[in-house]
Amino acid sequence: TWRVPTSVPEGSPFYVNFLERFADNAALLTGDRVEIQPFGAGVLVPALQVYDGVRDGIVEAGHSTPSYLVNKDPINAIFAGFPGGMGPEAFVTWIYEGGGKEKLSEIRASEGFKNLIVGIGSSEIMAHANKPIRSAEDLKGLKYRTSGPWAEVMREYFGAVPTVVPPGEIYTLLQRKGVDAIEWGPPSGNLPEGFHEAAPYIIVPGVHQPTFLWEVVVKQETWDALDDDLKPLLEAAAELTTLESVVSFYDKDMKAMETFRGGKNEIITLDPAFIEQLSSAGSDWISKKADAQKEAGKPAMADILADYNAYKARWSAESSYLIRNQD
Amino acid sequence: MLVSALMFPGLFVLVLAGIPIAFSLAIVAVSAGAFAFGPHIFNQLYGSFYTAATNFILSAIPMFILMGAILERSGIAERLFKTMQIWLKGLPGGLAVATIAMGAVFAAAAGVVGAVEVMIGMMAIPAMQKYRYDNRLIAGTICAGGSLGTMIPPSVIAVMYASLAQLSVGEVLAGMMFPGLIMIALFIGYLLIHGMIRPPEKVPELEEEDDMPLGEKLRLTCSTLLPVIALIFAVLGSLLAGIASPTEAAAVGAVGALILCIAYGRFSMSVMRESLAITVRISAMILLIVAAGTMFMGVFAANGGAQLIRGFLEGSGLGTTGMIIFFLIVVFILGFVLDWTANVLICVPLFTPFIRSAGVDPVWFATLVIIVIQTGYLTPPMASSIFYLKSIAPPNMTYGQMCRGVIPFILLQILTLLLVVAFPVTATWLPSKIVGF
Amino acid sequence: MFSYLFRGIDCLSIVFSKVANIVALGLVVSMIYEVLARYLFNAPTLWAFDIAYMATGTLFVLGAAQALREDAHVRIDFLSSRFPAKFRDGFNGFIYVFLLFPIFAMLSKVAIGKAWHAYVSGEVEMVSPWAPLMWPFYTLLALGLLALSLQLLVEGLRAFGAAKGVTQVKEGDA
Ligand code: NA
Ligand code: NA
Repeated sequence: TWRVPTSVPEGSPFYVNFLERFADNAALLTGDRVEIQPFGAGVLVPALQVYDGVRDGIVEAGHSTPSYLVNKDPINAIFAGFPGGMGPEAFVTWIYEGGGKEKLSEIRASEGFKNLIVGIGSSEIMAHANKPIRSAEDLKGLKYRTSGPWAEVMREYFGAVPTVVPPGEIYTLLQRKGVDAIEWGPPSGNLPEGFHEAAPYIIVPGVHQPTFLWEVVVKQETWDALDDDLKPLLEAAAELTTLESVVSFYDKDMKAMETFRGGKNEIITLDPAFIEQLSSAGSDWISKKADAQKEAGKPAMADILADYNAYKARWSAESSYLIRNQD
Repeated sequence: MLVSALMFPGLFVLVLAGIPIAFSLAIVAVSAGAFAFGPHIFNQLYGSFYTAATNFILSAIPMFILMGAILERSGIAERLFKTMQIWLKGLPGGLAVATIAMGAVFAAAAGVVGAVEVMIGMMAIPAMQKYRYDNRLIAGTICAGGSLGTMIPPSVIAVMYASLAQLSVGEVLAGMMFPGLIMIALFIGYLLIHGMIRPPEKVPELEEEDDMPLGEKLRLTCSTLLPVIALIFAVLGSLLAGIASPTEAAAVGAVGALILCIAYGRFSMSVMRESLAITVRISAMILLIVAAGTMFMGVFAANGGAQLIRGFLEGSGLGTTGMIIFFLIVVFILGFVLDWTANVLICVPLFTPFIRSAGVDPVWFATLVIIVIQTGYLTPPMASSIFYLKSIAPPNMTYGQMCRGVIPFILLQILTLLLVVAFPVTATWLPSKIVGF
Repeated sequence: MFSYLFRGIDCLSIVFSKVANIVALGLVVSMIYEVLARYLFNAPTLWAFDIAYMATGTLFVLGAAQALREDAHVRIDFLSSRFPAKFRDGFNGFIYVFLLFPIFAMLSKVAIGKAWHAYVSGEVEMVSPWAPLMWPFYTLLALGLLALSLQLLVEGLRAFGAAKGVTQVKEGDA
């Protein structure tokens, strides 16, 4: 039995779609020999310290996202999903077929962890807003609740005003117009938060967070102590979970977007030139980070980013044959 | 699972033996935690402690307490209640009604409970005692008035509930609106009737004082009542206008109180020092209970607490009505020992699937749960609202008086609950009407 | 000898609670600054949120020992006040010295370890765009817990003293 805490509350889409699904798949594939016992955020270990909790031996395994490690080491931003990065189709392909998974595993191994990628998500909603956003002009002075790389890109490249609002107060402050815009999660994640009832405009696509990734980590020695026949089964359960979860997000997001469109909201789809402008600002932000790391004697980020960008370029060049059925 | 079941009796024994609540929670958490985490138990408990120590939502507590402390230490609260007495002395139970009304107004400004109770209590207890209100009535009024923050938006509990249950925040807040108003009306009605049947005894020396000319009355009102109403408007208004978030509104209140204090010429270093010392002392007491409660909850969950409840439910073969009653009882019992955050964190994800598959209106059910959480606060022997009151009550107000004092209000809350059960439309009508922006 | 130690620990608790007073003031100031900065100047800070939760955490942990010294931690004594005084003091002394002091001492040990680790590794806040170093906050938490542990020991020994003073029984009696 592994007690596995995650960084989101029990019942949230990430919890159900990623961690509970993994628990079910692990039980199914191992014939109930491995029991994964999921726990919501903050119950066993602090929500943002899941990696530490595993390292300290409080729990056998933990489920979290590299997003929370970006402040510690920006290399994690490549895997967490970043502004202007690959969308879910390209990213999932890079992870499993283009060597992304192995690169993340090497990083975790250097930290003493064995990781299993458990959950890749769709694109987020760029903003629920009280003001329309259509061009760079509209971002100037915009009070925008966001975090991480996007906060820096918004401030430095577009003159927006990133605002820190704790999760429990986002709804109230957006509704009272204390902030102009907020970003949170993908459509199916935002629907139950009710942001569409608080503000009229919904801005897509999610340039700021084209996809996102979560992983389960265990200590290397915990992993080594497993029966050898179980290891490939758990790896398979993880991959199955990830692929099922991204498809599940597509389905639920589509239904959420339908709900938004059927309601009072105006959905603004940004025009391609503006999307390109936002994306290249994000790419510029991350390459500067990678360069700074390289100068500090840590070339790993720059190497992985180069590989990532090359894969992304090949994907963009050759994916025009794909039918996306998009209006 | 046996261990998690034994945690509650263990806690009751320690608390009744007179060990401070926070320390009782910690002792049980360590003992039961050793089963779940072995040698890592202290590491795990520190994590829970850290979770509580970094919870931004709790920041409102010290700021509201500071606001109350400044108003009380500077003598503004005393003048305020004197003025209210002048106008309300014809009204049966006047000051008690005024206290409930203040509780309701600050509940509408505050996202967390406890803070409002302590703030109102610091101001109202001395005044109500001076006008010879019964200690039991004072205690009940303050506990009940202070706990209204759960029901009246914005309520952090409601936001957290909605998010955990995947419900619309707006609908849950709207669903609680009418039940909250019904509850306030019942409270006020009760106080009026109580005041008519058993008016507080007259205080001769204060009577004369009250016999002032109208001009003097008006002057006192303008100089005392209006500034405090302005302060309330600043707190509530800054929130409604989107200038401040619920937590920040508490800071607006504290600064507003300080400005009033300076404007009245009552400011001095010693007032400030004393106010801060009171704030730190009471915050330390409340937040240590929250931190220890978080430890308790983590250990309870790790020892299979949720499976215990789920197992009982699945084995019992209850129908929908039985299930709802069972859930409400669980919330009620957990509410004896757990802080509301912990209670909601454990219960909501546990109940939601059952409620969904039984086809129960989730907003209506949420309203019931939130009423019961608020009732759990009030119900002795283990009641947060009484603990908080005890931290500010004068020595002549006993624990027994507090326990007896809250009983009528508990009954009124149960009456509200029954009304919402009998007429679900009280909770479901408004959410169906709400317009977004 | 003991009385010097007791007084020293009392002093420590008092000093920490004074620091907590200042932290409480800092909490209000930073929140109000954030409101003004966001509303009037359209320039919200990146730090107010972190400062607010850190100040809240710090002020209660630093105030906990002094609150104990002033017997401000709420307890339900309607039953225990009917116990014989000797028994009650002995029981409290036992719980404080042999259960609560070790528990909080162990928590302090973990807290000190965390603070040291954060200092050595240069740990920064996980999600804050401000990304402050975390060791000062961890250190304050550790100091507060340490003071609380020591005060628990002192109050426990005082309870034993009271139990002894009343009936001249030995400490282990309870
Ligand atoms: Na996001
Ligand atoms: Na409220």
